[in-house]
Amino acid sequence: MGRRKAFITTVVMAMGVTLAQAQEVQVPLRFDFYYSYEKMNEALRALNKAYPELTSLDEVGRSEEGRIIWALTINNPGTGELFSKPGVYVDGNIHGNEIQAGEVCLYLANRLLTNYGKLAEITEVVDRNAFYIIPVVNVDGRAHFFEDANTPSSNRTLRIPVDDDRDGLFDEDGPDDIDGDGSITTMRIRDTLGRFRTDPADPRLMIAVKPGEKGEWTRLGQEGIDNDGDGQVNEDSEGYVDGNRNWGFNWNPPYVQRGAGNYPFEGTGIKAIAEWILARPNIILVFAFHNSGGMYLRGPSFKAAGELPQGDITVYDYLGKNIEKIVPGYKYLISWKDLYSTYGDFTDFTNNLVGSYSFTGELYQAETETFDGSAARKSEERSRIGEASEGERQRLLFDDNVNQGELFKEWKAYKHPLYGDIEIGGWTKMSTRLPHPFMLHELVHRNASSVIFAAKQTPKIMMDVFEVKKLDGDLWSVRVRLVNSGAMPSVTYETIKNKWYPIDKLSVEGRNATVVGGGVLTDPWLNLVDYKEHRPEVQMCQVPGFGKLEYQFLVSGRGDIEIKYESRKAGTVSKVVALK
Amino acid sequence: MKENKLPAIRGLMLLVALLILAPASLRAIEKYSDPATVNRRIEQLRQANQSMVKVHKLAVTPGGREMLMIEIGRSGTSVPAVLVGANMSGLTPVATEAALELASRIVSDASLNSSLTWYIVPVGNPDAHARYFTRPLWSDPANGRPFNDDTDDQTDEDGYNDLDGNGIITMMRVKAHDGIWIPVEGEPRLMRKADASKGEKGIYKLYTEGIDDDGDGKYNEDVPGGTNVNINFPHLFKSFGRRSGLYPGSEPESAAMLKFAFAHPEIAMMISFGQTNYLLSPPQGGRKGSVDTENIRIPREIGSAMGIDVSRSYTMDEIIGLVQPMMPPGMQADESMIASFLGLGAVVNPLPDDMAFYNEISSDYKEYLKKKGITAERFDPAQPEDGSFELWAYYHLGLPVFTMDFWGLPKPKDEKKEGSGITAETLGKMTSDEFLALGEEKIAAFLKESGAPAQFTAQSLMTMVRNGQMKPEQMAAMMKRMPAPKGDEKKGDPKEAAQLVFSDIWLSGKGFTPWKSYSHPTLGEVEIGGFTPFTDNTPPESMVDSLLDLHLPYITELVSKLPRLAITEAKVTEKGGGVYQLEAWIANEGYLPFPTAMGKRNKVPAPAIITLEGEGVEILSGKKRTPLNDLGAMKSARHVWLVRSPKKGSLTIKLESKQAGNDSKKIIIGG
Repeated sequence: MGRRKAFITTVVMAMGVTLAQAQEVQVPLRFDFYYSYEKMNEALRALNKAYPELTSLDEVGRSEEGRIIWALTINNPGTGELFSKPGVYVDGNIHGNEIQAGEVCLYLANRLLTNYGKLAEITEVVDRNAFYIIPVVNVDGRAHFFEDANTPSSNRTLRIPVDDDRDGLFDEDGPDDIDGDGSITTMRIRDTLGRFRTDPADPRLMIAVKPGEKGEWTRLGQEGIDNDGDGQVNEDSEGYVDGNRNWGFNWNPPYVQRGAGNYPFEGTGIKAIAEWILARPNIILVFAFHNSGGMYLRGPSFKAAGELPQGDITVYDYLGKNIEKIVPGYKYLISWKDLYSTYGDFTDFTNNLVGSYSFTGELYQAETETFDGSAARKSEERSRIGEASEGERQRLLFDDNVNQGELFKEWKAYKHPLYGDIEIGGWTKMSTRLPHPFMLHELVHRNASSVIFAAKQTPKIMMDVFEVKKLDGDLWSVRVRLVNSGAMPSVTYETIKNKWYPIDKLSVEGRNATVVGGGVLTDPWLNLVDYKEHRPEVQMCQVPGFGKLEYQFLVSGRGDIEIKYESRKAGTVSKVVALK
Repeated sequence: MKENKLPAIRGLMLLVALLILAPASLRAIEKYSDPATVNRRIEQLRQANQSMVKVHKLAVTPGGREMLMIEIGRSGTSVPAVLVGANMSGLTPVATEAALELASRIVSDASLNSSLTWYIVPVGNPDAHARYFTRPLWSDPANGRPFNDDTDDQTDEDGYNDLDGNGIITMMRVKAHDGIWIPVEGEPRLMRKADASKGEKGIYKLYTEGIDDDGDGKYNEDVPGGTNVNINFPHLFKSFGRRSGLYPGSEPESAAMLKFAFAHPEIAMMISFGQTNYLLSPPQGGRKGSVDTENIRIPREIGSAMGIDVSRSYTMDEIIGLVQPMMPPGMQADESMIASFLGLGAVVNPLPDDMAFYNEISSDYKEYLKKKGITAERFDPAQPEDGSFELWAYYHLGLPVFTMDFWGLPKPKDEKKEGSGITAETLGKMTSDEFLALGEEKIAAFLKESGAPAQFTAQSLMTMVRNGQMKPEQMAAMMKRMPAPKGDEKKGDPKEAAQLVFSDIWLSGKGFTPWKSYSHPTLGEVEIGGFTPFTDNTPPESMVDSLLDLHLPYITELVSKLPRLAITEAKVTEKGGGVYQLEAWIANEGYLPFPTAMGKRNKVPAPAIITLEGEGVEILSGKKRTPLNDLGAMKSARHVWLVRSPKKGSLTIKLESKQAGNDSKKIIIGG
């Protein structure tokens, strides 16, 4: 791309460095501005430094351009090792332009750490869970979104060059910031035969001409030139491998779905994160933050998957319905049904291959930008022929009067090498999908609270040995109850259905005792037991959410026996009882 | 697997027994190379041919073995390449031997190494391949990744046990109330399922040889090993399937192949040595879920938005015709675009245009074998498994894929004794008159052999043919789609019968361990016996050289069919005022299309690029870089530019294709 752009990038980067040096990040962190990739790392280091006992900061892997993907792990070693607790994984910004997702993750970490020991609810949620937080998945995308001129939607994908226009050259003709204002906006040219005219209500807007009306403008698309001289403008921009279509569950190739990548986990950072997650088998809850629209989505992401097991739907519904109240206006939805089918999604991967309840959080509702104080702006309805909507006019007023015109670039004349006299103007990259920083604080707090609410519902297993009864001589009946006070079961129903991972284990062992029979106590009053024929001393099980599970063991022997419950997701509980 | 719980003394006895009585199948090992030997041979090849041979370390397996790739050629990535993947399942030692032999032939054959680059992986699944060389002998395509097959609380804890100490894992049969197996009549070594509808009661239960190591009531349900590399590829990958792996490319072996193939767009053909043979059994369709491109329905919303009648269905070409006028200028509607727009999903059956060359090459190969004097019939090779290497290379890379298995069990001769002498092949080539001339008796025999449904009697068929309602050609096509005839069920599995015959005749009986009673710790009195693993797909060592001599030369034929693009003519016509029309004809002089129909659909093969280079020449119409996305076999395409050249100069037309070669032509223009 242009030399001019390179120059501007350098200037912006230099400024970024100066700014970073000028303001040192301090804990508690501030949330009245957006953190650049570098600044985000600094903030993570600051949290790690301020809470060395509770946190660790790990390099998960590196991106295509070699940037480090960082994970902050929060765990209180005083209440147990990492894997002895349910794992809560939260990430954001897998799409490079969706930056507020990073701030939600950062806020969550800041909130948990700075309130640990102060607020009982937070103290408990930290003591009982292990939090894995990766604020920025697409580190290259975030870095380029800050450093380069962009639209609100560019730099979404991974930095894997793709020959979009199939001319044998890769990423050779993207948009260019030709007016050098740091944003990629829109180009228009005066054209009496054009399909648009100036909106009489607001001269910054264009409306479509009706039959018989005289035209005034033709839209030329995003700011840019024909970099490769092929007669097309901006036809092969950066990317396009979408980090959120490149995961290894129900992946489909690019000719079925654009952005899939050539094969699952082609993205080096994506692969590193997948391996990192798979090495943490305790993860049972996943949040992945995106923008925008105000939604919490659950899977499946594609129609052919059918519906999730009913037991899992119950859990999703319980969490989703509550989250809708925590973040007013947001909707809890099913990915394929309420939006559209996608393949190779991150949350399908975690739901199916990690065995975690997984939500995609689509942050921010543009309707909440209001000038006149009404609760919500009229939704953005643009008629098919391009009529400017009342919503768009309101949106400009919001920017005029609440942001003092910060986010909209007025149309300005420009001499284009190809088109000649044109005008450039429109919404800047920090608009449209991102809240203005003054609105950021509420967004990060409410959405981090969704995570904290869900984290309170991870499985919490207690064991009760409620009967040790002598039957005859050395033969004992031992009854054990496992109670789960969390909404989530100790193993997802999807995991049980897929038969890929071992489920939980309940075992009985004693130096001088043998388990001669054991099984699920299906009716304690009628004494009905579903005895397991082989190895009765080991029972593979799942403890349902807000539920219980009872076992009866027939033990022959004497002395102490240890009853032990071990779960990949819900930790370990054990009790020693004496046969006497 | 926990170590055999058998006493150490027994292990020692076993060793002694092995040394004294090494059966034929064990001696065959000397011909085949274990993973370490393969890598040594690769290194020797490199050392002896350093100017031409490079070795890439593609991956280290979960079992700690190096998976190597041999690169042979003099021109690297600047010429088209052939990727050869062998033994991805680890179950086909002959495939590895073939790949090594092919590599050494290429090195000494200038016609193969001068204009092509070869990427050869002799063992795609070294961990599984290593099992062929260890004792006791058992067969499993799993690599060395530990995996908890039975999802209990232990991993790889209940593998096979060589109870009879013969160095081979065979089967156990035990009389049981709920037995479902009975011995085959006349061949009691073989077993078949009892047919309750015929009043037969099962006698035996069959198990693989071993004990219940973990005491869970199951036998050998969690043998060591994890993923079959050959089914760990992304096309039709089976999530949560046995030996599938967690996700496509979850294994270092398959991940390395995915990465390598996409990093090498010059790969123009893929040849796989393993369990399938596309030369004998071309790829088959018939999978559900694929959209019939001859019969596409257009969704109502799309149809109404575009003014297309949705009450009828369309062929792909018809839709392209309908959509093209709506495209912006310069944009070409193609199959790939339409398929993705209509959400037709992934292609799961070979595309008809590609089947044309597959069938033709298959006939040619059969002719080739006939000329070499090979007439013995063998069992049909298997079709590739879902998630396999060969499916992926065709569907995802869009490459022409050819596969070879080198050997299959011969069909016992007596089976054909009273046959009609007609096959689907011969039928397809007959005229209606020739068919009728066969007579009712022969036709009836043929129908019986091919398992035709009862309603097709010889008489009814002859009437249909006579009336022109059916042609022999159509009948042959139907026959090919029908499941293989079952044969006489009382004789058991015909393949097992053939395997037994082969063992008796060629392996002096060492391919089958006779049933012998054994006192099993939990099952009580059992008999241990059965086939030696690998004897159904691995030829004895004495045959290997002649098999490779027979089949490998055909590789030269295959690669000669690669597409080759050339500028066959470049012409300049003066239009006046220093303006010239430049016209170039590009031809595909190869037998294969550039690219395959599948490559056209998935748009993975890189386009060929035509560029114009000339001082002082201005292009008035046409592009400086013109992509050429496809050109059928034996077809030519015309490209026209309008240029202005006030002064006399030279102009070079360059054609560059990673897969199909480069060409250029210089012409004088202007003045």
